[in-house]
Amino acid sequence: MSAVVAGAAALAVRNVTVRFGGVVAVDEVTFDARGGEVLGVMGPNGAGKTTLFNVISGVQKPTAGEVLLGETRLTGRDVDAVAALGVTRTFQTPVMFWGLSVRESVEVALAALDAGGTYPPAAPRELIPCGLGVRESRRHDAALRERAGALLEQAGIAAMADRPTESLAFGEERLLELARALAVAPAVLLLDEPLSGLNPDEIEAVLASIRSARANGVAVLLVEHAVGELLAVADRVVVLDHGRKIAEGAPQAVAADPLVVDAYIGDELE
Amino acid sequence: MIAQEVWQYVLAGVVAGAIYALIAAGFVLIYQVTGLINFAQGEFAMLGAMTAASLASGGMPVLAAAGIAVVVVAAAGGLCYLLAIRPARAASGVTLIFITLGLDVALRGLGLFVWGTNPLSLNAFSGGSAVSVFGGVLPPQALWVLLTDVLVFGALYVFFRHTYAGTAVRAAVANPPIASTFGIPLRTFAFWSFVAAAAIGGLGGVVIAPITSATYDMGLSLGLAGFVAAVLGGLDSLPGALLGGFVLGIVEKVAGGLTSTGWEEGVGFLILVLVLVLRPQGLLGRAVRRA
Repeated sequence: MSAVVAGAAALAVRNVTVRFGGVVAVDEVTFDARGGEVLGVMGPNGAGKTTLFNVISGVQKPTAGEVLLGETRLTGRDVDAVAALGVTRTFQTPVMFWGLSVRESVEVALAALDAGGTYPPAAPRELIPCGLGVRESRRHDAALRERAGALLEQAGIAAMADRPTESLAFGEERLLELARALAVAPAVLLLDEPLSGLNPDEIEAVLASIRSARANGVAVLLVEHAVGELLAVADRVVVLDHGRKIAEGAPQAVAADPLVVDAYIGDELE
Repeated sequence: MIAQEVWQYVLAGVVAGAIYALIAAGFVLIYQVTGLINFAQGEFAMLGAMTAASLASGGMPVLAAAGIAVVVVAAAGGLCYLLAIRPARAASGVTLIFITLGLDVALRGLGLFVWGTNPLSLNAFSGGSAVSVFGGVLPPQALWVLLTDVLVFGALYVFFRHTYAGTAVRAAVANPPIASTFGIPLRTFAFWSFVAAAAIGGLGGVVIAPITSATYDMGLSLGLAGFVAAVLGGLDSLPGALLGGFVLGIVEKVAGGLTSTGWEEGVGFLILVLVLVLRPQGLLGRAVRRA
């Protein structure tokens, strides 16, 4: 699915503006995110970061401007279509499939991907119960279980694979949501505050997953209030303030930018 | 002596409850996937019973007639969805529920038109004498009824717990918009939920027909009992449908046996009212669906 060449512009945000009545939440924002890089999106509360994510993922139609994935226009498509093209996101509050176990949550994402993203799947073979099916299906099931295991391992939640999602703590939900997002091999991964509410071990696990996604050519867009961690993991940073882009560039250069420091005075830049 | 009598009522209740559980499973399947209460559910049992009985009376072996009847009812369930529900899927929930009530009347009318008012009988699936259970007796067909429950609920369990398709349905039910972004849209399961619910209801009608005989209006009381069982167990829980079916069947038969059979349905409705007042989510349902 990630037909995006590393280093090329995977995602292009072009002059995107979002107005809610008289309020301009996002104002003429333009930037690129490349495959194989982590693009940090910074800004004080209310700067328009989440609105921007909503525009990219198709939840929010922009008042003006457009978003492109490679050559494909995302703007105007609905959420499912944008997701099917390879743009996956996580949420500030993790969203779980209650009733599924941790392992099932990741396996179902993998199975949907393998089935071409539609159920009932195109090939009836996929409907054959695992373990009861023909050899070919059993081999597929074993491979799928292995991939799910690897994703859980990488996210640091392999030990809780068989627990129901209802029993997870907040930080564990975040790790699972990230593993599930990575399961669909996205071209673009939008992470909305993936570190908030996590303990140091969990933060390490998330950062490791982000680096590994980057190594696999994924364009990672990272909104994060923990500025220190964001500057450490990001390759480039875009800074928004009151909906406008006020800076873009290498993390250290941006952090030293007087405009950025101004925007954060009295806020959370340490 | 009274204990002996009550035990016999309990056994009768177990058999009735096994059928209620099948009808209730149909209510739960459709409710989980579409959010609809399909009040035509009982008619699927009628269609199954009548089709099997008329095929068998034409000389077909009982098991073959039963198999064909289930396939016919499954197809009828799919048609109900395609012709009556799908065209109106943008309508409000109440409108759709009224459509299912209309379907119920239409299917019963179809049964009357095709088969008339006379009851049809169906031979038991196997011969043999009554089975004695701790002093009570069960007809041999009762074992087929219980076996059907084991197979149907076993198959549902395997499907939902051990296949990716079943897991995908659970994910879609748990969170439709997010599952949809993974390429698992809930709406694609709606058709299959009607097919499966109809097949299961039809099977229930087929296996009970040798005990109760088949009439064009048997779907009404079976549907209501299945609905009460589903609400009792929890509309979003298949294990609840199984439990609700058996609890309702046993309470009905014991209460009816000790008073008068005329009270059986009244007891069912009393249970419905008590559940709705005291525990609206049912025995095994979730109080609040977290999504």
